[in-house]
Amino acid sequence: MKDVSLTIAPGDFVAVIGNNGAGKSTLLNTIAGTLPTDAGELCLAGHNVTKKSVAYRAKWLSRVFQDPKLGTAGELSVAQNLTLAQQHTGSMSLHRYRRASQTAAYRDLLRPLNMGLEDRLTTQVKYLSGGQRQALSLLMATLSQPDLLLLDEHTAALDPQTSRQVMALTQTIVETNQLTTMMITHKMSDALTYGNRLVMVQDGQIKLDVRGAAKANLKQAELMALFAE
Amino acid sequence: MLITSIGQGLLWAPLVIGVFLTFRILDIPDLTTEGSFPLGAAVTVSAMLSGQSAVVASLLGFLAGCVAGWVTGMLDTKLHMPSLLAGILTMTGLYSINMHVMGKSNVPLLTQRVLTNYLPVAWSSDVQTIVVGLVVTGVVMALLIWLFKTRLGLSLMATGDNPAMSAANGIYTDRMVILGYMVSNGCIALSGALIAQSNGYADIGMGIGTIVIGLASVLVGEIFLHGRQMWVRLSGMVVGAIIYRFLLTVAMGLGFPVDDLKILSAIILVVVICLPILRTKAKTRQQLKRYLKQIGADEHESTTSSLKRQASPEGLLSRDSK
Repeated sequence: MKDVSLTIAPGDFVAVIGNNGAGKSTLLNTIAGTLPTDAGELCLAGHNVTKKSVAYRAKWLSRVFQDPKLGTAGELSVAQNLTLAQQHTGSMSLHRYRRASQTAAYRDLLRPLNMGLEDRLTTQVKYLSGGQRQALSLLMATLSQPDLLLLDEHTAALDPQTSRQVMALTQTIVETNQLTTMMITHKMSDALTYGNRLVMVQDGQIKLDVRGAAKANLKQAELMALFAE
Repeated sequence: MLITSIGQGLLWAPLVIGVFLTFRILDIPDLTTEGSFPLGAAVTVSAMLSGQSAVVASLLGFLAGCVAGWVTGMLDTKLHMPSLLAGILTMTGLYSINMHVMGKSNVPLLTQRVLTNYLPVAWSSDVQTIVVGLVVTGVVMALLIWLFKTRLGLSLMATGDNPAMSAANGIYTDRMVILGYMVSNGCIALSGALIAQSNGYADIGMGIGTIVIGLASVLVGEIFLHGRQMWVRLSGMVVGAIIYRFLLTVAMGLGFPVDDLKILSAIILVVVICLPILRTKAKTRQQLKRYLKQIGADEHESTTSSLKRQASPEGLLSRDSK
């Protein structure tokens, strides 16, 4: 990517689209810290994090991966995964992590997902379905109230129905928590339906950046035409 | 014979627990073992010869193992070396270090009080060994069980399971891997310290084959005791260490010379890796037979062979078996 300048305001829900190889994932991985920047600066919530590690950025950042297996630890239980996600600091702490009061809190968190996960707190995550794992990843990513939520084609690996379900869940969670969100998607309909801002990436550049009413009025056909250029 | 195996097994148990920590929790095959085991022995014996008590000397052995683990951890995480190579490098370097610590290739203890000498003289040496082994292994297990109930322990488990997710959740995975290497090799060196005191000497060659012993014991232990809770898993390691010692004692009783024990260790490891694979295969074949009987077609050669091929059994050592 080259000469990219992108400012995301608090509360924005940005949908990012683009062809394969256009640089969507590069953009997201650079923000997340898995790819280093060659030049330029990256600030999160007012902190310059250009040279900081993935773990350091986790103070402000959460991420849902495309592969449901990546966002959760399969050998650990649902409750243990939630514990890891709850606070992005204190991973070196020597305090006991399991408390009875937390079990009840976790149940309350999982119930709205409507996936029966509230009764499976001690189940190892590897035994959950892809949809369940992705819903759990989403919940985990939002548990720490991040300043920026990164969604990396998080419904692409799911079947159409589960994909819709997880997308609806995403909308609910983002709205209730007023989360600033950046979502990469391959589905143009999702990019048009969700979010208040749409960014199109092509050849490592930001080709289109529309927001508010302009985005709401954007038609799929117009987008298609832009893609073809 | 069994009593002796229990005693010896308990002395080897910290090594098996150490191998378990890297191999199962962090998902790393760590060859540092072959160097940190004799390092523990060398440091402990040297410290005792220079006047330290057995307790202090054993703790020094543990700490030396931690340092060895730290080196491998740094090579692995900061210098981005493959973990196998990192282990080999530390192991090779430790050979020289161990020679320097000992001064010569074999150092016997003289009249120093070893850990078993703290116990009543009236007890038989087998009982003394068992008591010392129980106390040390018990302390190691208790500390680890406590560790894995803390947030730090959870972060360690998460790092071994899914490093990408752990980093995304704010866990500094490099630190966790280094810490895992340190604790693991500390336990392994502690085991070396115990064995040296039990044998009455430290030897430069006593580390050879310890990784095979460790892995075989881990797998044997998991065959006999498997569960998800940490105390069950760790107890399984102790059981594995004892059974493994017992197998070797039986082999020696059958007249195998001591020199052949290494190849026996290797064979035992091959067998315990293959056993679960064969078991899965047999199970698949049985299920298939039952299924074919149900649909009333016993002679379906073509389906049988194609299904057999599909059912690829999971190896215990395969890293992607999850």
